[in-house]
Amino acid sequence: MLRIRDLSAGYGHKNVLNGIDLDVPAGSVVAILGANGAGKSTLLKAIVGLIGRSSGTIELDGKPLTNESADRTLKSGVALVAEQRELFKSMSVADNLLLGGYLRRGQADMREDFERLLDVFPRLRERVRQPARTLSGGEQQMLAIARALMSRPSYLLLDEPSLGLAPRIVEEIFDIVRRISAEGTSIVVIEQNVNLALDVAQSGYVMETGSITLAGTAAELRSSDTVQAAYL
Amino acid sequence: MTVRLLFGAVVLVIFFAAPHFLAEFQLFQVCLIAATALVVLGIVVVTGIAGQISLAQAAFVGLGGYGPAILAARYGVPVWAGIMITAVVVGAVGYALGQLTLRVSGHYLALATMAFTAIVQLAFIHSDAVTGGAVGMQMPTLEISGKTFASGGTLYYVVLPVVGVLFLAVHNLIHSPVGRAFAAIRQSETAAAAMGIDVLAHKSAAFAASGFLGAIGGGLLGLLSTYLDPSQFGITQAVYYLAVAVVGGMQSPLGAIVGSAVFVLVPEFLQAFQTYLGLVFALLLLVFIVLRPNGLVSLASDLLRIVGGKQQRGAA
Repeated sequence: MLRIRDLSAGYGHKNVLNGIDLDVPAGSVVAILGANGAGKSTLLKAIVGLIGRSSGTIELDGKPLTNESADRTLKSGVALVAEQRELFKSMSVADNLLLGGYLRRGQADMREDFERLLDVFPRLRERVRQPARTLSGGEQQMLAIARALMSRPSYLLLDEPSLGLAPRIVEEIFDIVRRISAEGTSIVVIEQNVNLALDVAQSGYVMETGSITLAGTAAELRSSDTVQAAYL
Repeated sequence: MTVRLLFGAVVLVIFFAAPHFLAEFQLFQVCLIAATALVVLGIVVVTGIAGQISLAQAAFVGLGGYGPAILAARYGVPVWAGIMITAVVVGAVGYALGQLTLRVSGHYLALATMAFTAIVQLAFIHSDAVTGGAVGMQMPTLEISGKTFASGGTLYYVVLPVVGVLFLAVHNLIHSPVGRAFAAIRQSETAAAAMGIDVLAHKSAAFAASGFLGAIGGGLLGLLSTYLDPSQFGITQAVYYLAVAVVGGMQSPLGAIVGSAVFVLVPEFLQAFQTYLGLVFALLLLVFIVLRPNGLVSLASDLLRIVGGKQQRGAA
């Protein structure tokens, strides 16, 4: 279980998140909903240690993560696929994938994972030697997800995986998300397409101006007046 | 594998054949190109690959020259051992300088490394008792197992293998996980951190490699010039090394060799215009920054791409 209590975090001395409480049970998919600027992406960055946390606690299976750096958080099994995908665009698809497994370098089974992920994402296999910048938006998103999976995370944080993609590609991406979840990886997904997010998630949270304002199961959120009025 | 072996064999044949065809002065020039390329290789690693702007290379070169000279003069340390000891120490200094990147980046890092070069040069000038001050000091002759290496013809057999081995090491480094991490940091520090890369440690390691290569290059250049003049290790020289890297191609070890060849050989062809050499180099730098930021080596890759494209179209 990824357990967050009273988390405040932000940039420099300015807090963007205020007293966040959030639970991600092992093996589940949790959706985080909210308008632009609500602090959703900041929350994911704070969880993985990419921005400073001013107070509160983050625990992974009972072990504290609060003061860990990004590399140690990843080592503990929490990987982020950022909103802008943050690919290394002049590098090949293969090099991007190998960088995803950077902390596992030297491990004999890394090559197996590399091949397995190219089976999961056959489009990437076709373009394995191409620079990442030459991929389409959907392929770049697939590469970003595959790269994060190279670290064998137990928790995968996805920030707007459907952003800027055609509906057909979005479906493909979410099929892959379901498949990853079925294989046992816990997922936190931020998604503007609320119907899609609540289809794949078992529970969810609504954020407004850096705080959680609503929490519940996917069904509860779907029937909530607040969610219906603002997001559906 | 076969191609690599064949390439290695050709390189070895050229290496042993060259002294039979080239004059003493030409061998000296080959050594000068190789040693300069080694210095510039340090910039390729730290700036071209890891993306950290550094104007510290002239200081590393100076330390790499003065270190073995002082160790030999004061403690009787053999020059070859002095070069190696100094390179390790300068590598550590480079690592410490890399820790600066925690606080500064971009233009400010360039200024900070420039300040480092200025401080080191001032230290050379004002430590008269140790370095000979503004007058400089003699670089001792290299001796290995009783054999003296004092001319271009003899140093050729030391400089080229050393430079060759280090180029091979850097080539392997670039294609290793650490090299990929350097390149990842250049493209996005945030994304690199998200991959679990310890960004500060890697940036410091890139500076350490740059310092090590610069110091070995400095030692070799000292052996070739036989005299250490502190005016050769200032900010102007730091910009000169950066210019060599830009003209050759910042992101490729081959660029370091090509750039060094241009900057060593052009003055030979322009002897009548010695007064204007600075202007020629400044114009070269400007032209390459604006028109071909990836340097001369990118011309070759573009050419290969065009030829490849034409062949594909022909086959279709």
